[in-house]
Amino acid sequence: MKTIKEINQKIKKGEAVIVRADEMPEIYEDNPKKAASEVDIVTTGTFGAMCSSGAFLNFGHADPPIKITKLWLNDVEAYSGIAAVDAYIGATQLRKYRDSDYGGAHVIEDLVCGKEIEVRAEAYGTDCYPKKKVETTVTLEDLNQAIMYNPRNIHQRYNAATNSSDTLMRTYMGTLLPNKRNICFAGVGELNPLANDPGYDVIGVGTRIFLGGAKGFIVGEGTQHSPDSGAGNLSTRGDLKDMDPKYVRGCNIPGYGTSLYLGIGVPIPILNEEIARKTAVKNEDVKTEIIDYGISRLVRPVIGEVNYEQLFSGRVDVEGKKIRTSPLSSLKITYQLLKELKELIEEREFYLTGKVESIPRKGQAKSMKLKKGTKTVNQVMSREVITAKADATIKEISALLINNHIDQIPIVDEVNKLQGIITSRDITTALARNITKMADVMTREVITSDLNEALDIVSRRMDKHKVDATPVVDKNNKVVGIVTIADIMRKEGSE
Amino acid sequence: MSKYLIEYSSDVVESPILSKVVVETGVLINVLRADIEYDKASIVVDIPHDEDRVIERFKESGVRVRKLEENIKKDIENCIDCGACISLCPTGAIYFTEDWSIEVDKGECIRCGACVLACPMKAMTIQEH
Repeated sequence: MKTIKEINQKIKKGEAVIVRADEMPEIYEDNPKKAASEVDIVTTGTFGAMCSSGAFLNFGHADPPIKITKLWLNDVEAYSGIAAVDAYIGATQLRKYRDSDYGGAHVIEDLVCGKEIEVRAEAYGTDCYPKKKVETTVTLEDLNQAIMYNPRNIHQRYNAATNSSDTLMRTYMGTLLPNKRNICFAGVGELNPLANDPGYDVIGVGTRIFLGGAKGFIVGEGTQHSPDSGAGNLSTRGDLKDMDPKYVRGCNIPGYGTSLYLGIGVPIPILNEEIARKTAVKNEDVKTEIIDYGISRLVRPVIGEVNYEQLFSGRVDVEGKKIRTSPLSSLKITYQLLKELKELIEEREFYLTGKVESIPRKGQAKSMKLKKGTKTVNQVMSREVITAKADATIKEISALLINNHIDQIPIVDEVNKLQGIITSRDITTALARNITKMADVMTREVITSDLNEALDIVSRRMDKHKVDATPVVDKNNKVVGIVTIADIMRKEGSE
Repeated sequence: MSKYLIEYSSDVVESPILSKVVVETGVLINVLRADIEYDKASIVVDIPHDEDRVIERFKESGVRVRKLEENIKKDIENCIDCGACISLCPTGAIYFTEDWSIEVDKGECIRCGACVLACPMKAMTIQEH
């Protein structure tokens, strides 16, 4: 048994024994008692994309004073509804709503790099704060405070993602190839702080950590903390002014948006044999589930269980097939930061703290309460579908389109099974290219939807594939309805 | 085995040059990538043996032949060595070294650009020839 005070005295004398999390299993297996008594600190950490990150900034008062109500930093909006000259810049806020690859995470990185940031602020003007507009530039040095405060970092468990659908998906879990051709996974397995202290024995409120290359603290459990399902997480705080740009990197996950790659190191004091045992965790012990992101619902199907030994091997066996894997966190930079943390402790620059309060060991995050039920396809689709057979002529199809005031016609066989679709644009193409056979212009790979699919998912699919309508089919691919963009807009507009 | 970029100009784009070269040389050329438009085309091929002879025949047929060496460049400043690109590379040209750095086997790259589009740090760029 050791105390944190004793470990700190050892640090002071330069006698603390510091071991990296991946070195601990061997030391522990060799002699558990000796491991617990001789090892003082196990360093854990991670360098990964942490979307739930951001920073509180204080700009100081202007003359005459302004009470900022809207604020943009390099054209990225920051929340300024906190007093007069404070703001919170969040990592995932984009410069524009969409199609921008610069966001709050990059503003944070630029600040840490010492770059100049353009500030644009608006206010309504009061007797005490008459100024209504500010346009200026600031650097990190100009700010009174720049405190990184992250609502949700360091997860106990991360997912592995694959995609069973037949189209490529760009998700926050990276680019997922169709038909389960790859797996992307986050997390660093045996190096993960919470894999080494899953019961929050030593990690708690007040634990000093290495955040973005500076000293920081665990301030509590993170939002959505769900220890009941093994999905706990932590909230962190640190001073942006002391951070190292190496460990604070803005990124843009293609098709998803911006996020912040952040390095976090957590030293675990080995106070007893039980803690030593837990830090002896190996990659093969750290398990996660492979989730099918091809199904865009809150509860996505689990395809299988996998451990980090398998994930880091580059290939995982799923349903008899070897699927290639992509990590999203960087092991290389994680090792770098663990080395740096060890050196800081050895140089007596970093002492450990005991927790002042425990992280809740029970609890489960709820899902969002929706007042209205999710709208589904069968609530908006037309059931009277005008269809045609594949042997129809272009002239017949044209007549159907005009007489029924529609823009597309599903092509079906004798038993109403979907064979293709033809749009008024296809007819134009046929005319322009002198094509007379309808089968030569119709689209055979039809974007379809199911009766009970959520409208949000169908409209996202239509947007992605740039189609204006989708036939609704049953299990046997028989056409039971059709949904158009106009149907969806009418439904949205009526509420 | 070496990879080559074969570029067809509008004059020759409609001739079956590849088939002719295969028939005449007897070398089974593997097409790794093809970009075919109505007025020009380019293909990336793997020539398993008799490279000199095959290239000579290609050149005689009026197409431009270039050996693919510097295809993709990893910007070491931007790359954070995460590995998001690894599983997307169709030829397995991107891999981890011993110390978990990302490395590209330039000879295996077929210039598809999958890694360029997937990189969260914009660290990958296709090199112009």
